[in-house]
Amino acid sequence: MSQGAQSQTPPAVELRDMDKSFYGVFANADVNFSLARGEVHALLGENGAGKSTLCSVIAGLYRPDSGEMLIDGEPTIFKSPKDALAAGVGMVYQHFRLVSNLTVAENLALGNPDVAMRLSQKELEVEAREIGEKYDFPVDPSARIWQLSVGQQQRVEILKLLYRNARILILDEPTAVLTPQEGEALFQTMRVMAEEGRSLIFISHKLHEVKEVSDRVTVLREGRVVGIADTADAEPRDLARMMVGKDLELPTRAANESIGDPMLVVRDLVVQGDRGLDAVNKLSITVNAGEVVGIAGVSGNGQRELAQGIVGLMKVTGGSVHLDGDDVTKMSVLAKIKRGIAYIPQSRLGMGLAPGLSTEDNLALKEYRVPPYSRGPLLSERAFNARGEELIEEFDIRGVRPGLPIRLLSGGNLQKALIAREIVQAHKVLIARSPTRGLDVGATATVRDQILAERDRGIAVLLISEDLDELLALSDRLLVMYEGEIVGDMPASEATAERLGLLMSGQSEEQIA
Amino acid sequence: MTRRLIVEPRGLAPWWLKLLIPVASVFAALIVGALFLSLTGNDWFEVYGKMLDTAFGSGRGFAETLVSATPLILTGVAAAIAFRMLVWNIGGEGQLIFGAIVAAGVGIWLSGSTPPIIAITAVVIAGAVGGAFWASLSAVPKVYLGTNEIITTLMLNFIALNLMQYLVLGSFSPWRDPEATQFPQGRPIIDTGRIPEFFHRLDWGLFIAIAVAVLAWFVISKTRSGFEYRIVGDSFDTARYAGIKVPKKVLGTFLASGAAAGLAGSILVAGILGKMDPRSLDLGLGFIGIIVAALARLNPIAIIPVAILMGALNNAGPALQSIGVPSATVTILQGAILLFAVAGEFLIANRFRRPDRTPEDAEMKAEVSAA
Repeated sequence: MSQGAQSQTPPAVELRDMDKSFYGVFANADVNFSLARGEVHALLGENGAGKSTLCSVIAGLYRPDSGEMLIDGEPTIFKSPKDALAAGVGMVYQHFRLVSNLTVAENLALGNPDVAMRLSQKELEVEAREIGEKYDFPVDPSARIWQLSVGQQQRVEILKLLYRNARILILDEPTAVLTPQEGEALFQTMRVMAEEGRSLIFISHKLHEVKEVSDRVTVLREGRVVGIADTADAEPRDLARMMVGKDLELPTRAANESIGDPMLVVRDLVVQGDRGLDAVNKLSITVNAGEVVGIAGVSGNGQRELAQGIVGLMKVTGGSVHLDGDDVTKMSVLAKIKRGIAYIPQSRLGMGLAPGLSTEDNLALKEYRVPPYSRGPLLSERAFNARGEELIEEFDIRGVRPGLPIRLLSGGNLQKALIAREIVQAHKVLIARSPTRGLDVGATATVRDQILAERDRGIAVLLISEDLDELLALSDRLLVMYEGEIVGDMPASEATAERLGLLMSGQSEEQIA
Repeated sequence: MTRRLIVEPRGLAPWWLKLLIPVASVFAALIVGALFLSLTGNDWFEVYGKMLDTAFGSGRGFAETLVSATPLILTGVAAAIAFRMLVWNIGGEGQLIFGAIVAAGVGIWLSGSTPPIIAITAVVIAGAVGGAFWASLSAVPKVYLGTNEIITTLMLNFIALNLMQYLVLGSFSPWRDPEATQFPQGRPIIDTGRIPEFFHRLDWGLFIAIAVAVLAWFVISKTRSGFEYRIVGDSFDTARYAGIKVPKKVLGTFLASGAAAGLAGSILVAGILGKMDPRSLDLGLGFIGIIVAALARLNPIAIIPVAILMGALNNAGPALQSIGVPSATVTILQGAILLFAVAGEFLIANRFRRPDRTPEDAEMKAEVSAA
C-alpha cells in the first residue's frame, strides 16, 4: 500500500498492533493503521466496530493497552488530548466541546497556551476571521456559540484545531449533524486542508461520502481492521461486505405459520428530531399480526424518533399511526399503552426501567393502575410482591433482593425484567429496539425465543436494531432505514450482507442492481 | 504517581450507614461548635450543658422544644417532598409567610361567633391554600415555561416577607391591630379560631404537623399517586414512558410542598402567636426546614425527630444569653450540621477503593455479601 513518494517521509500517524480493551472487552485488537501526510483517510465500520476508540487513542483520550503509536515516525504516547494537541493532533468529537456563552473568538483562545495573558478581543477576532476566510469557512468571530447553527458550531470546532495549527485532524462522523449542503462545504474544506499537507481521518457510515472525499479507506469490524483500500479502486459492494462481515447466517428458526391482518399501520409518518429537522420523513410501514418486521440501519437515521413517535413519546407532525384499524396517532402514551402497544426501548435504565426503584416496582410499571396492584387509590404491596415473585421466577431474573434498586442488576437481568413486564401485559403490538444489545449468549437466546413466542401468539412485532444477526434471526420481513426513510424492503430470506450494507450506507436499490 | 484511593459510586448503602452519617454529622457539628466556643473563651461544656438542660431538662423546657419543632416538621416535609422530585423549592420561607397572611386574614374576617371547629379548620386550611398559591407563582412558570424555581422561590421569599411587614408595620391594613398604639402589631384573630393548648404553650398544632409528616409518608409509599411520584422522582423519562403526565405530577408536588409550608404559617398564627406577628414569623423557619429535610435524608418520618433536634437548638439559643454566650451560636451549629450532613451524603453515595483492587473485586464482594 505504500506508494513510492510516501515511503521517504514517515506516515503522519502509524499504529502497530494496537490493543485497547474496556473492562476486559476488546474495543480494538491488533489494529495496524497508517495515515499518510496530506491524505484524507476514511474509517468505515458499523456501530461499535471500534472506530471511535481508535481515534480516541490517536487523539490522546485513551492510552493503548499494548502496541505502538508513531507520530511522524517517532514513538509517542500522549498523556491527554491537550498533550496530543500540542503535538498537532486534534479531534472534532460528535458532541462539541464549546462554551456556548462565549464568542467564537473566545472559544478559539480558550485553553490555548499561545494566547497571551492580555486578551485582545479585536486581535482574536481578526485572527479568527483570517483563518475562516482562508478555508472558505466564514464564521462571525464575535457571535456567541449558542447563536450558531450546528453546522457553524462544527466549523468553530475545526477552526479551533486550525488555530492551534493541528496537522492531524480527526473528524468523528462530522456529517451526521449536517445538511447535505453543509456536508459539501465541509468536504471542500477538508480537501483544502489536505492539499496544505494536513492529514485527516474521517469517520463515516456513508459510502458515497467515503467515495467522494477520501483517498484511502480502512474498514473496521468488531475492533479489528478487516480491509484497507485506495478509495478510487474500492468497489462499494466490497466495502459494504467487509463492513457487515461474514456471510450472514440465514435464519434456521421455524417460519411463522400464519400471518394475520395488518395490526400496526404507519402512514407517511413525520417526526422531528431534537435538532428540529425531520428525523422521520414520510415513512410508511405495515406490521401484520404474527409477523416480525425488522428495521435495519445505522443508528441516528431516525430509528429512535420512529419508535418514540409511534408510542407517543415524541410529537408526530405528520402522517398517521393505526392500531388494529383505529387511528391512535394523537393519543397519549398512556392511551396507547392501554390500547396495546408494548415498547422495549433501547435505553433500559433511564427509560424502560426506573433505576432507583426495586425490581418488583419496575415489573408493575405499566399495570399498577389496575387491580390487583391497585385497589382504589391504594397500592397492594402484597400484589407487588406476589406478582413480582411470579415474574422473577418465570423469567429467571437473578440477583433480586427486597428493596434493591434495579440498577444494580446485570444487563441481562435488566432486560429480562423489562421484557417480562412488556410481554405479560395485554398488548397487540410490540416495538423492540435492539433488545439483545450488550447481552451474553445465553440471555440473547432467551430474549430471541421470547420475541418469536410473541410472534407465534399473534403479536405484531416491530424490531428496530443495528445488529444484523439479531434482525435476521427474528425478522420475517426486513426493511432498511436511511435518513428517516425506508430505502429497502425484502423478505428476510433474500437479505444478503452486501445488499443490506449498501442500503444502510445510503446506496439505492437501483445503484446496487 | 502518588497512590490514591479511587472514589466510585456505591451500589446499595447499608442501612446502618444511612443512620450513622446523620448522627455523626450532628456530633461533628458539635465538635466544631465546641472548638469555636473554646476559641472565643467560653466553656463549651457549660454551654452544651445549658443547652441540653434548657431544651430537655424540664417538662416545660421540652414543651418549648416541641413548640419550636412544630413548624419545622412542616417546613421540613415541604422541602423533602419537593426535593425528592428534584423540585428545588427553597421558598418554604415565603410560602410559610404567605400562608400566615391568608390564615390571619381569614381569622380576622370570620365572625367571632363562628364555632371553634369550623373557625380553626378554616384558619388552618387557609394557610395551606395560601402557601400553595405562593408556590404556584413559581410552579406554574417552571412547569409550563421552564423557569428556574430556585431563583423564583428565593425571590418570592423576599416579596412575601416585605408584604407581611407592609401589612402590619407599613400600612393600616386589616392585619394591623388598631388598638396597638405604641408599636404596630398584628391584629389578633378571633378567639374561636385559636388552636387549644394542652401542655404549657404546646398546642394541638404539633399533632397536625406530625399527622402531615405521616400522611406524606403514607401517600408516597402506599398509594398509586405516590408510586407515580416515586417514578417521576427517579427518572422523568421512565415516568413519561410509563404514561405518567410528568408536568402535572411536578406541579402537584410543588403545590403540596407549598401547602405544607403554608400550614406551618397558619399553625403559628392559630397557635402560639394568635396573630400575624412579623417578628415571630421571620425566623428563617423555611430555611431551617431545608436543613431538617437534608438531615432526615428526605424521609418524612425521620423529619419528626430531626425537627425536634433543631427545635431544641432554637429553643436553647436565647437561654445562652443568660450565660453570656450569643444566641447565634445555635445558628453556627445548625449551619455546621447541614454542611456535615451534605458532605456525609457523599459517603453514602460513594465508596473508596484502593487502586490495587479492581472494581470487579469490589463488585464480586458485593455479590458475595448479597448472596
